[in-house]
Amino acid sequence: MPIHDQGYRRYGGSKAPLGQGWTVIARAGIRTMFAKRAFLGLLLLSWFPFFVRAVQFYAAANLPQAALLAPTAETFRQFLGQQETFVFFVTVYVGAGLIANDRRANALQIYLSKPLTRAEYVFGKMAILVTFLLLVTWVPAIVLLIVQMSFAGNFTFLRNNLFLFPAITVFAFVEVVLVATTMLALSSLSNSSRYVGILFTAVLFFSSAMYGVLRLVTRSTSLSWVSFAANVDQIGDLIFRQPLKYDTPWPVSLVIIVGVIVLSGIILERRVRGVEVVV
Amino acid sequence: MTTPIVSAEHLSKWYGQVIGLNDITLTVPPGITGLLGPNGAGKSTFMKLITGQLKPSKGSITVLGEPIWGNPGLYFRIGFCPEQDAFYERMTGLEWVAALVRLNGLSEAEAAETARRALQMVELLDAADKKIGAYSKGMRQRVKMAQALAHEPELLILDEPLAGMDPIARRKTIRMIKEWGRAGKSIVVSSHILHEIESMTANILLINQGRILAEGNVHQIRDLIDEHPHTVYIKADHTRELARAFLAYDDVLSLKFEDEAVVVQTGRPDAFYARLTDLAASGELGSIHEVTSPDDNLQAVFQYLVKT
Repeated sequence: MPIHDQGYRRYGGSKAPLGQGWTVIARAGIRTMFAKRAFLGLLLLSWFPFFVRAVQFYAAANLPQAALLAPTAETFRQFLGQQETFVFFVTVYVGAGLIANDRRANALQIYLSKPLTRAEYVFGKMAILVTFLLLVTWVPAIVLLIVQMSFAGNFTFLRNNLFLFPAITVFAFVEVVLVATTMLALSSLSNSSRYVGILFTAVLFFSSAMYGVLRLVTRSTSLSWVSFAANVDQIGDLIFRQPLKYDTPWPVSLVIIVGVIVLSGIILERRVRGVEVVV
Repeated sequence: MTTPIVSAEHLSKWYGQVIGLNDITLTVPPGITGLLGPNGAGKSTFMKLITGQLKPSKGSITVLGEPIWGNPGLYFRIGFCPEQDAFYERMTGLEWVAALVRLNGLSEAEAAETARRALQMVELLDAADKKIGAYSKGMRQRVKMAQALAHEPELLILDEPLAGMDPIARRKTIRMIKEWGRAGKSIVVSSHILHEIESMTANILLINQGRILAEGNVHQIRDLIDEHPHTVYIKADHTRELARAFLAYDDVLSLKFEDEAVVVQTGRPDAFYARLTDLAASGELGSIHEVTSPDDNLQAVFQYLVKT
């Protein structure tokens, strides 16, 4: 009678090559967030404006007396502007703990002793936040565009506003990357997700409040570049071919946005390490 | 000649103006190697350098024949168990190990199976579905080891794996480490307690103040230590009678009384301990309650070595 080996059996399957660790981080993070009911509620709520707009598009397409509600490029710009509130809440909810919680649990040292580079780790974390931010910006805006075509039963609107698809994509990309890198950088600065959430809120509101004061003092909007949100608005209006709200030249807003992203990258490079060296 | 597991050439690490490691050149052979040094000696710095978590300030270090710094591909072949706890307390042991195993490129199902096997190896399978927050210190150490060995690395790096464990967990862990060594794994294990390392391996590296003091067989180092007077502290019923008996031994260099104990300095500790055991077994001079040697304290050992 053959006797089977009952001992330890080595793993003989395939292993993913180096460079795919970020997908493990991203998938685990996304799954964790989807398991939270409160977060699902927030996601559902963030789609409420979408449904309102969908009703508006339906009415405009089917009811002659509602022709006033017919969508324009500005409608989509406004829609993405409204979604900024949800961008804020999703960023705080998802992003604040992304690195801070790992720092609190000392998990970075273990993560980075696996076949995972620091860049992959950051990329994986960013992918989590970017995924959810796109779910409240790019995805509903694109679906809204499709809904408009479906209700209208023709491609006339799309043909007349061909730039809308790239505009939605570029604006969502700029906004999401800016917000995600900023939040990740802040998250890497602390071990407390609460503190990070407060810090992010403070950065946002303080910069807007500062701009408000400067506008009152100078009676001009040319210093809007000090406001985080105003820079996003300025670039958004430019992308959607809308009149610019502020006197700040758009290249200045763009430079600020790029600067914040670069600064966040530098912070992440310095803070995301397996071992923290305090000199 | 066997390829060294770790090889360092003029390796130094500074933290600003503080030196962590000072111009170390060494090779670590395959098998179990103990890295021994008092707290603050540079053990953790060395561990962080060989796990690629710190960049050398000067010199070079290779692990398994490849430079470790900026070489994450090498981590497929290395398992690291850090000294510090690194847990999400709300995760179960199985979830935590499986999540980390996924980073080694295994699919979800394979990772869960591999994690189970690793937990079985560290005798933690019964507690696999318990939250880590409910684990004892010994269980936490073992679950950390499980994640380090789950992907079957060639080299295991264990930073103070016995720290905080109770004697039974300690004995189990020492047994496991020796078994892995026998199974062909190379292991670098750090500790600040000499007898812990001695119980795992004879091959040790002694480190102090950022420098390697000695390397090689622990018995040779023991002999070196034994050339120096060895202090033994004995608590007994009749210390004066004991002292009188000790005076007859030619290897006893000095005697003194402290509280209810007699403190002896001997030039030949092995012979002294053998006679002391016989004396205790005979019961001629009453009970011997406690025998301790401050020389077991590593700091004392290093002081001896530094003086030579």
